[in-house]
Amino acid sequence: MTLQKYIRITDFCQGHALQESFLYQLHEVELIEILEVEQQPVIRHSQLDRLERLVRLHRDLDIGPQGLLAVDHLLDRMEALREEVLELRRRLNRWE
Amino acid sequence: MEFIDYYKVLGVSEKASDKEIKSAYRKLARKYHPDLNPDDPQAERKFKQVNEAHEVLSDPEKRKKYDQYGKDWQHAEEFEKARKSRQQAGGYGQYTYSSGPESDFSDFFESMFGGFSSGRSRGSRGFRGQDLNASLELDLREVYRTHKRTLTVGDKNIRITIPAGIEDGQTIRIKGYGGPGINGGPSGDLYITFHLTNTTGFRRKGTNLYKTVDLPLTTAILGGELTVDTFDGKAKLKVKPLTQNNTRVKLKGKGFPVYKKEGQFGDLYVTYQIAMPKALTAEQKKLFESLRATNL
Repeated sequence: MTLQKYIRITDFCQGHALQESFLYQLHEVELIEILEVEQQPVIRHSQLDRLERLVRLHRDLDIGPQGLLAVDHLLDRMEALREEVLELRRRLNRWE
Repeated sequence: MEFIDYYKVLGVSEKASDKEIKSAYRKLARKYHPDLNPDDPQAERKFKQVNEAHEVLSDPEKRKKYDQYGKDWQHAEEFEKARKSRQQAGGYGQYTYSSGPESDFSDFFESMFGGFSSGRSRGSRGFRGQDLNASLELDLREVYRTHKRTLTVGDKNIRITIPAGIEDGQTIRIKGYGGPGINGGPSGDLYITFHLTNTTGFRRKGTNLYKTVDLPLTTAILGGELTVDTFDGKAKLKVKPLTQNNTRVKLKGKGFPVYKKEGQFGDLYVTYQIAMPKALTAEQKKLFESLRATNL
């Protein structure tokens, strides 16, 4: 079934005790993509980790969708920089 | 198992208000949130401590119990009972967070407050309702004075006070008027954003108002009096002789109210625009010609 690659937003919201409108707000600011599969609104399974991180930040720090957009962007940049540092360290180790 | 000073964890005094506790919690939660500090176990541990402190101090019942028995927890009967019933042998003498899915709270917390099930942990955690957003369009005149207004949001009528001096684009929070909480959690908040229209002829910048008025040519040259409209009435101004075009005068305290500062106002700046005559009578023309003859 095609839906296996996806998670119904109804299921996600039930599991996380969230209102669906919150996910639509995230969709509006392009933090997640809500698709329609078999006439049901879904998100890709690959987006689950990211979405859960957003939900945690929203709950724990009371951050709204616009704030999440900024945080998400900075976290992605931080991750990219971290990977770059690791790669540079690896290269440096070869010369030392 | 050691006593944990939750006030110290949050860096607040024992007399701290709910607002101060919330603010301290937010600041520390931002600093130590595991998602913002990936792969930093120390930050994660700190975050759990901060969360736990907030869990206790933000709940009036828990805070009361903590304040009452906290430091003397070993003598508190109910604490002892709870402790015995849980038969928590491990972790004695140290401040520990056990591992596994139920590790959000310390042994101290779990012994004192019934642990996992009474807190905001997984399972029985009550969830805060969704925050709602609404916008309200008002004319500048309407926000000159503090007034009450009834709004209908999601079938509910809400009477809110709109403080004088609110800014265009400003958002106010109405606590508890958002979506209902789940599992006994608190309701979300309602955020209202104000959009102001301005048809008043006054330009507003912060608390100051700006207006350009016509100044008759003869008053500009010879001086005199000029009555101008202020936001809530009129003011009589003395115009100095030989007042230049675009001269700006300040009317102190005649501007817009300062937000949430009752009785305080900004200033009104009036710019004189000298009104050139569009037509002259024969007599006026003659008089101007006489003036020209004086090399004016």
